[in-house]
Amino acid sequence: MVPDVAAPPQHSKRVEAWVYAVLNPLIENLGREIFLLSKGNLSWRFYSRKCEYIHPTSDYIGISQRPNYEDFIADPLNQGFREKFEGHDRALTRLESSASRFSDGLMRSNLFLKQMKDSLEEYESNAGTNPLYPYNESMRESLPRAVAEFLVNRIDVLPDHYMTQKFWEEYRGKFDLSAQDFEAYGQRQSFQGLAEARAAHKDFSDKLLHDLVSHRQLLCRTYDIPAAPIPVNRSVSHRADAFIV
Amino acid sequence: MPSSSRTTDKRKLLILDTGPIREMVTFRAVELYGFERLRDDLQLIRDTDSYGRCSRFIASFTRKTTSASVVAELNYWIRKTEPSGQERLWIRVYEEFREMAMDEEVVRLVEMASLGETGLALLTRLGPVDVSLMGLARLHAKDGPLLLTTDDALCRECERARVHASHLRDVTLMVR
Repeated sequence: MVPDVAAPPQHSKRVEAWVYAVLNPLIENLGREIFLLSKGNLSWRFYSRKCEYIHPTSDYIGISQRPNYEDFIADPLNQGFREKFEGHDRALTRLESSASRFSDGLMRSNLFLKQMKDSLEEYESNAGTNPLYPYNESMRESLPRAVAEFLVNRIDVLPDHYMTQKFWEEYRGKFDLSAQDFEAYGQRQSFQGLAEARAAHKDFSDKLLHDLVSHRQLLCRTYDIPAAPIPVNRSVSHRADAFIV
Repeated sequence: MPSSSRTTDKRKLLILDTGPIREMVTFRAVELYGFERLRDDLQLIRDTDSYGRCSRFIASFTRKTTSASVVAELNYWIRKTEPSGQERLWIRVYEEFREMAMDEEVVRLVEMASLGETGLALLTRLGPVDVSLMGLARLHAKDGPLLLTTDDALCRECERARVHASHLRDVTLMVR
C-alpha cells in the first residue's frame, strides 16, 4: 500500500534541493535571457540555427541535478511549473524557427545576395589598397550568412579585432532596415514574425522569472531555509570537532 | 612599446598566449552575455575602455596566430569552471578564434627541445606552452612577430631571446 504523501517537514533537504539545484540556476539563467533579449540579441547562430545562450529550461540544470528537477515539477507543491517550463520551451522553439525563417528568406533573396556581392566587391577593392580593411577568402562565402546573423541579433557594433567589424561598420546602414524595407527582399512578414517571437519570448521569460522568484521566497519562508547555501567555515568546524570525543 | 593607433601601417603577425585570449573571451562573456560569475576572473580587462584598447591593438595586426598548446591550456582553464557553463565557454572561445581569423599551429616537443643548445632547459623552466610560443616567434621571424602575454616571466625570457613581446597590462593601459 502506498502511504499518503506527507508535506515536507521544516528545513527539508528535499525543498533545499529544489531551491539550490532547480530554482536558483533557473533564476540566474532567465535573468541572463532577459538581459540578452532586452538588447534584442538572441545569440542566434547561423551554423547551429540555435540561440547559443538561450536554452530550454531543463538545459539550465546540471545533469547530476536533473532528478531534483524531475522531482520539483512532479510535486503538487510546485503545481503549474511544468506547464510554464513547457511554455518557455515552446516560445524558444518559435523564436529559433522565426530566426531561421528570416535568415533563410534572406539567403533566397536574389536582391539581398546581389547587394551583398556588390558591397563585398566594393569592400574588397578597398581592402586591396587599405590595410585597415581586413579580408580573407572565407569572407566571400560566409559573409551573407554572417550579415543575416547580425540582423537577427540586432548587432550594432563589433569589436575592432573581428574580421567582419570594418565591413559591418561601413555597410550596416544598407542592410539594417525597417520591416517595410525588408519587403524588397520578400521578408517583411518573416521580419515581423521574428520581432513578435522575440517580444513574446521576453514576455514569457519575464513572467516566469517573476513566478520563480516568488515561489522561491514562498518555499524559503514556509520551510525556513536560506535562499542560497551558506558556506561552512571548515576551520571553525574542525576546531569544534576537536572537542567531540 | 608599440602604438595602438590605427594607422594604415599594419603590423604583420601577432602571437597570442593563453592569458590575453582568456581575458578577451571572459570579458565578452560577462558584458555581452551576462555571465556575471566570471567577472571576478577578469584581471586586466575590467571595462569597455580596456577591452576596446586591447581589441584595437589586436586589430592592428594583419595576422593572428597561436599554438595548439595554448588551446590545450584553454581546455585546462575551462575544465576548472562550473561544468554547466563549460560548453558556453567553449562556444565563446570558438567564436573568438573564428571572428579574429586566428591561425593555430603545432610546435612539436622534439622541435621545442632542439631550440638551440638550451632547448630542454628552457622547456623545463617555462613549460611547453611558453616554449611553443617562442618557437612560433622564431619560425615567423621574417614577419617581425610580437607575442602578447599576461606572463611576466615569459616577457623577460622573450627579452633575453630578442623576441618582441608585450604584456597585456601595458596594452590595456595604453593611451591613444
